[in-house]
Amino acid sequence: MFMTGSGIRLQDYSLSAEQEWLRETFQKFFEKECPTAVVRSAEPLGFDADLWQKLLNMGIASAGLAPSVGGDGATLVELSIIAEEVGRSIAPVPFISHIVATRLLAATKAPDDVLNQAIHGHEVVTLAVQPSRPGRPQLVPDAAIATGAVALVDNELALFRAGLPAAHMENHGRTPLGLWRPGDGADCLSLVRGDAANMAHQHAVIEWKVLMAAALVGLTEASLRLAADFAKTRYTMGVPIGSLQGVAFPLADVAIGVAGARNLTRRAAWTAEFEPENSLEIALMAFSHAARLATWGTTTAAHMQGGLGFTAEADASLFFLRSKGWSSLGGDPMRDFVTIGESLIASKNAATAEPR
Amino acid sequence: MDFSRIELDDGQRSFAEEVRELLAECLSEEEQDRQYRVGSGFDETLHMALGSKGWLMPTWPVERGGAGLDPLRARVLELELRHAGVSNMTILSLRSVWPAVEKHLDAELVEELRPKVARGYVRFCLGYTEPDGGSDIASAKFRATRDGDEWILSGSKIFTTEAQNSQFIFLLTRTDPTRPKHEGLTMFLVPTGSPGIEIQAIRTFGGERTNIVFFDDVRVSDRFRLGAVNGGWAVLRGPLDEEHSLGGAESALEDLSIGGSDYALVLAKALQVATDWASTAVREDGRKVSEDDAVKMRLGMAATDVEVARSTPGPMGRVFGSEALIRGAADLLDLVGTDGLLMATSRRPNGLNELEFAHRYAQGTATYGGTVEVFRDMIAQHVLGLPRLDLPGRKVFLQNPPTSR
Repeated sequence: MFMTGSGIRLQDYSLSAEQEWLRETFQKFFEKECPTAVVRSAEPLGFDADLWQKLLNMGIASAGLAPSVGGDGATLVELSIIAEEVGRSIAPVPFISHIVATRLLAATKAPDDVLNQAIHGHEVVTLAVQPSRPGRPQLVPDAAIATGAVALVDNELALFRAGLPAAHMENHGRTPLGLWRPGDGADCLSLVRGDAANMAHQHAVIEWKVLMAAALVGLTEASLRLAADFAKTRYTMGVPIGSLQGVAFPLADVAIGVAGARNLTRRAAWTAEFEPENSLEIALMAFSHAARLATWGTTTAAHMQGGLGFTAEADASLFFLRSKGWSSLGGDPMRDFVTIGESLIASKNAATAEPR
Repeated sequence: MDFSRIELDDGQRSFAEEVRELLAECLSEEEQDRQYRVGSGFDETLHMALGSKGWLMPTWPVERGGAGLDPLRARVLELELRHAGVSNMTILSLRSVWPAVEKHLDAELVEELRPKVARGYVRFCLGYTEPDGGSDIASAKFRATRDGDEWILSGSKIFTTEAQNSQFIFLLTRTDPTRPKHEGLTMFLVPTGSPGIEIQAIRTFGGERTNIVFFDDVRVSDRFRLGAVNGGWAVLRGPLDEEHSLGGAESALEDLSIGGSDYALVLAKALQVATDWASTAVREDGRKVSEDDAVKMRLGMAATDVEVARSTPGPMGRVFGSEALIRGAADLLDLVGTDGLLMATSRRPNGLNELEFAHRYAQGTATYGGTVEVFRDMIAQHVLGLPRLDLPGRKVFLQNPPTSR
């Protein structure tokens, strides 16, 4: 529908040679620099400053900005490729928050000194994904390590510094979730007001959801890989449990889910970058689908390892906790389905990738 | 990665127009009613009309009976046919089987058949499954016995859909029951008009007609054998891989799987009907359905499933597309309630019958071309690298498999 609603579209899901190189580079980087021991030792805060610094040294903070403001011009497609690897390694770094908030600062023409602080990584900036109200405490992703938060308060988009980093609230996903209270606006840098503010925030949320979808795909696939390896080597009644359909089929379903969610996320990333006006619904689809996949995919992966998969010692537990601990930061997937349904009714057009 | 819209030039647009004109001529309401009644999407007039344009094998060169279309025009044609609701079953059978025929059948026969296939005079149906067999088609028991220059065929094949409209059956037989299961099989292309062949209709609750075909000592010339005696599995691989979406999309103008193209489309049509209903319907208490978040949520879920199905590649897309359709059709039918139960043939059709149809039709998709369970086995082994269970009939032909007591 929506993006495919009229005309013939190419369906090229493949990575270019450069994109493949990027994927491999980050996969290898995280394999080396972020084994699960690093993930564990970053708990409960969920932030590894050394790992983040290494990523900053690789230019991660400026990658997604236009060359005109000192960036490398990577599109959301490339960023989503990196996000998938962040998810695969469940890296304790504020990648999504910082990238999206920085791109939002650039898009709203924040002053150079502010932008420079962010793109050089001198400060961590985050995005309040949900709209904010003055004085109302709000749980904001990565706010416990951020010194700046871009938030939409009463139709005004602004960069806040007061009250940051916020108090860390220990949480299910072991992330730097902070309880932050936006002030009355006197202590913040106003970026844009009115409809433009709402639109800029909405596009940032779209980017956040696309990158989170990609991260959840990587996270789910990594957890599936653990379960598949276990199922090959664990025996019952003389056969590997992975040869039994009661084990193999649920894992096959997760593999199916991962393949579809990855491709849908690629389409969403491409659309958000190249046809942003068409991107809301497909971004919500990618996110809500990946969020639900991550929930049952990591549940399945842990369960296929039986009692062992339920132990805190098993790496399956790390992926299980982050599946919800990350995805819930983006809100209820069912709300996104409502929004998609609303668009369907408004456009009265559910159909479909057909030529006209 | 590229999902750009392709702008058609004038020539391409007028080509699309030419396709639409031909479809408009052939697809009368009476014809649609007939297809619904008989349970077959095969329309001989349309098939021959497509053949006369070279559009059954559109990318073949004109001198071979095709239309020499470039990939984009071929895509335009494919999508116009799909949009018009033309059944592609016969065409898909032709396209999946023909490469095997061309490679393995007697060269003179190939030359004779090629233009007839392209022009629409010759159609193939698939003779794989046997009444006591199911998806494990390599366990075929159907006997072919040599008699001089001929073979004698006896046994039966089931789910031979469109056999009644086909000139040949692409037939899997057992020629040596003493050899390992995959090494005693031989393929034939048998004229369906041969004496001793009887085609009986089988109706499904999906509304489709399929068949069982009985062979009572049918004689067929050795010329109609494909490939080596006992080399049938190698002949069958290509068509099977094609049917299983194993090749995947080879270009950005192809669909990723049958689940994303065909099954997702049925769900998309059901979703369109449900969306139209939700836009206008009013509850007994006067509330507008379009303001009900529970309704919007379910439309949104079905829409998401459509797009996920379209994005999921190969055998995985086949499983997801089928099960998304099964899930979605049932839920959308619940959504509209009792009104959704009225059939197209009802005294007062209310435009919601697409939902009722989709819910019935959906069930067959989990079995077509091998059940979703067979595909899950493939995915477990080939995608996840899980070990295969060593079952007694995996490699050995079990003539009389043990039965449960």
